[in-house]
This record gives sequence, C-alpha cells and structure tokens, in this order.
Amino acid sequence: MIRALEGTRTMIRSGLLGIVALAFLNGAAPAQMHAQHASEAACEEPSLRCATKVTPAFGPDGTLWLAWMAGGQVSVARSQDAGRSFSAPVPVTTKRLNLDWGPDARPKIVVDRNGGIALAFSIFRDEAFNGQVLYTRSADGGKSFAELKPITANNESQRFEALALDQDGTVFAAWLDKRNRVAAKEAGRKYDGAGLFFTSSRDDGVTYAEAKLAREGTCECCRLGLTFAAPGRPAVIFRNIFDGGVRDHAVMTFTDISTPGEIHRVSNDDWQINACPHHGPSLTVAPNGTYHVAWYTNGKARKGLFYAHSRDEGRTFSTPMALGQPGRNPTRPYVLAGPAGTVMVWKEFDGEKTSVQMTISRDDGETWSPPKTISSTTDTSDHPLLVSNGRQVYLSWMTKADGYRLTAIEDQP
Amino acid sequence: MRRRSAAVLGLGILIASAAGLGAAPTLKPFERGTWQSVLRGHAGRPTLVHFWGVTCGPCKVELPDLGRFAKDHPDIDVVTVSADLVPNLPAATQSMLDKAGLSSTENFIFSDGFVERLRFEIDPAWQGDIPRTLLISREGTVTTIEGSAEMADLEKWSSQQLGTH
Repeated sequence: MIRALEGTRTMIRSGLLGIVALAFLNGAAPAQMHAQHASEAACEEPSLRCATKVTPAFGPDGTLWLAWMAGGQVSVARSQDAGRSFSAPVPVTTKRLNLDWGPDARPKIVVDRNGGIALAFSIFRDEAFNGQVLYTRSADGGKSFAELKPITANNESQRFEALALDQDGTVFAAWLDKRNRVAAKEAGRKYDGAGLFFTSSRDDGVTYAEAKLAREGTCECCRLGLTFAAPGRPAVIFRNIFDGGVRDHAVMTFTDISTPGEIHRVSNDDWQINACPHHGPSLTVAPNGTYHVAWYTNGKARKGLFYAHSRDEGRTFSTPMALGQPGRNPTRPYVLAGPAGTVMVWKEFDGEKTSVQMTISRDDGETWSPPKTISSTTDTSDHPLLVSNGRQVYLSWMTKADGYRLTAIEDQP
Repeated sequence: MRRRSAAVLGLGILIASAAGLGAAPTLKPFERGTWQSVLRGHAGRPTLVHFWGVTCGPCKVELPDLGRFAKDHPDIDVVTVSADLVPNLPAATQSMLDKAGLSSTENFIFSDGFVERLRFEIDPAWQGDIPRTLLISREGTVTTIEGSAEMADLEKWSSQQLGTH
C-alpha cells in the first residue's frame, strides 16, 4: 500500500535537541518538567489526576465507578454525584506494575446487580512486551480487591481483554492470545495475528472457566468491542485478518456463553496491511436487537471512521456511513445505545486542540444529528467513552490538561 | 514519577555524554518541531524514515531487514523513529535497534505525550499505525508505505534515487 504525496521542506529551525540537553544538564527540576511534557500523564502518582486511561461503569444503584491506570498502578473510586466528587481511591494493585500502556489498552470494570465488581487489565510480562491478562474482584462494594490472578494459566502473550456482564450475573471475558503461534512455528507454519479467546465466571468473578478459542487469525493489536446481544449471547466485534492479510472488521455472536458463533464481515474496506493499527472498533446492541458498530479503517475501499448497523443479529450490515471531518483526523469512535437514542462520539484534532464530536440518532441509526463539539482539550487525552446509568448517557473523558470529565450528553430527557 | 524521570533523565545523559565524547548520538528525543528539522537536515538526500515500536509484532520482523538495507545502501539516509508510547522504552528500543544492525543510523524516540500533535506534524492522515515508512526523494517527494515494507520496493526506490544524479 503506497501513497505518494508532495512533501515540502520548510526551514523552521527548532533547536529542540539543544534545549533538551541543556535542560538535563541544569539539574532535576527541568528534567521533571520535561518528563511531564514527554509523558501522556499529568503526574506520576496513582491518583485520578495523573491517570492516562480511565474506564467508567455505573452500578445498579446509580453509583459511578471509575477504574484507572496512573503511576504504574490500577485504582478504583466511586462517585455518588455524577462525577463531581469521588471517594478515596482504592488500590487494585499493591505495587507498581509494567502495565500495558498501548494506545488501545485500559483497565476493564463491570459492576454486578449485587454491587460486586469484576476488573481486568493487562501487563507486560517480560522485556519482549509479551502481555498477560490479570483479573480481580471486590465482594465488599469496592472497599478492597482480591489478589490479582492471571485469567488463563497459559503463558503466551495475551492483551486487549474485554469484560461484559450477563443478566444473570455471569462475567464474560474475551481477549487476544498468541498461544497457538508456538505450535504453528514448530510445524513450520506461518502464524499471523492472534487468537480471540474467551472465558466466563459464574461465581461473580472469583474463578474463570478454562479459556477457549473463538477464532484464530485476528489482528493482534486492537481493542475488542464486547456486549451482550441477548441473555447468554455475547457479541464481539474485532479487527479480523481476512484472506490476503486484509484487516477488516467482523462480528461474532455466541450461540451461548461457551459456544462461539460464525463471524460476519461488517464491511469490505479492503485494508490490506501488515501492521498494528492500534485502533479498535466499538459495538452496542439496542434493546430491540439492532447492532450498531463504529470503526476505523484505512482501506482501499474507504478511509476514516465509519458507522453501520445490523437488524439481523449481526449477519449483514448497512452501507458504511463516514464520520467526522477528514482533514481533522477523526479517531477513536465509540457508540452506545442509550435510553433516548443511539449516541456516537469520536475525537478530532485541528493541529492544536483535540475535540470530542457527538452525534445522536433517535430512529435506531437511520438518521443522525449534525456532529457537535461537546468537549475539547489542548494536550493529550484518553479515548472518549460513553456510559449509561439507564436514564442518561454520559461522555467519560480523561484529559492531561483538564483532568477527568463526565459530561451529560445534551438533549437527553 | 521517579522511574519515568529516571528513564528520560537517562536518555538526556546519554545524549549529553555522547555529544561530549564526540560520538554519534544514539536515541534522540522526537518532539514538537523535530519532524521539520529532520526534513531540513536531510534535504537534497534520498532519505528513508521508518516509524516503528517495540510492542508491534510486524515491526520486530521488519527491523532486521531494514538494518541490512541500511548497511547495503550507504548513500540512502536511514532514520528510525520509535513511535510507541509505553514507559521505560529507551533501553528496549536501543537494544532492538542494536540487534537489527541499526546502531549507527539516526534514531529517534517519541518524547512528547501529545502524540496526536506529533503525528499531525508528520502526516495529518496518520492515525498511529506502525510500521510505517516514508521515502523522501532528493526533490522532497514523500512516498508513504503503510505497514511492513517490501524490501523489493525499497530496492527499486533506492536505485531510482541513486540513478538520478
């Protein structure tokens, strides 16, 4: 895939290297300032203010829970006032870990009907950046968390875990796992990507069943989108590797909690690339069963962010609809079917600041409102996420410059 | 704070001491404005700029090929930029470059947390996928290869470049 463009060489002198070297020679204070500038984090403590990745979840009683990565640790706190104030953070990790800081990594959190909390995240296990998915739970309403355990006994690389909660309280987990590359290598076979593996817990996240393979040959470096299409039926969207190394998206709906279904292609974008896009999709299923998906591609057929829906349980999808302004690098789409409509958000960048764009559909994805800027920031930021308490949808967004923001999506009743 | 400061400080000391000894600097920080200085620094010379990262599987496979390409083509300027943004990367990055035979090329590492802005300066359409290779001709024409480069394509481009004296 080769793209030619005319580049112009300008004569702006930056002299940055000299400035950096001088800063280091002048002692610790400038070095610290530089470290903060160079980092995605505003600070290096485990507190929310220093977080780079923040994941929200509402509990059944309307409490907002956040799980975040900061200072090499994972912590949790709750808010009873829609994000205006938070409880004292509770550490999930007891020591600094080599957390997976990749662009599409983040801690995952689900809160069950009894207030039990299941949590999972990835670490880099070794110097070769092989990943490991760890999990824990809280049975005392988030006051304390159990000792971290690996979600599978296998020691090959695992990353990009996702958690979803079934109506009966079963915790379902899926992740990307490279265990089968060993056998492939030994047999002299080429092994591309990773396997989509899954497991579930019927004891509130205390133990998980043995991991099973759902699909081999998926792209190994993008987040998954995971939800329940119906009770007992997880649905997952992922970047698959189709014939010829084409990394387009697929949806799989499980027959039941332990039986993977067929995969269905979301769209024929024809993105043939041997690379890590670091840019995964998003999936939500409305109460009426409509699948709404949003994704990024740079294929021959289309480039940018796109949305589509399926009204036949994820078998066929509508014609992709482009999202965002092409000159503003639209990224990180997220879609959520909420009580008053289906909401989508994504980021755009204008050369100086990043904004979150929002659009809403009140007719199940047929038509969408004109995109609107609902938040912006002048430094680096986490992906924009949507979260619902059953009455209202909120944007959950961590920014380096302005801290954590929970913003009610306007036009909600 | 301590660990990351130490890592960045270590990088700084590396740069400062390398400069002091008169040796070629190893990993240079890639920050706001660095892209324009790279373009300026290599103006008029055929230049291959390779974006990669230590956590990227396809990058690990491609890097040694690129090391051989650099060795076989001394007339092409080869520049690498580690575009991963996970902490404590300088040592792992340098180690992979050394193993790939890329110790003596001009090597950068992303050193600005606002990666959207860094990428926007390089190519507003780039969303961060790696590996990614930019081939810059003597005239400044940029050809972008997304994903792993075919070595045959690099050979073809370099012969074209070196044949146009």
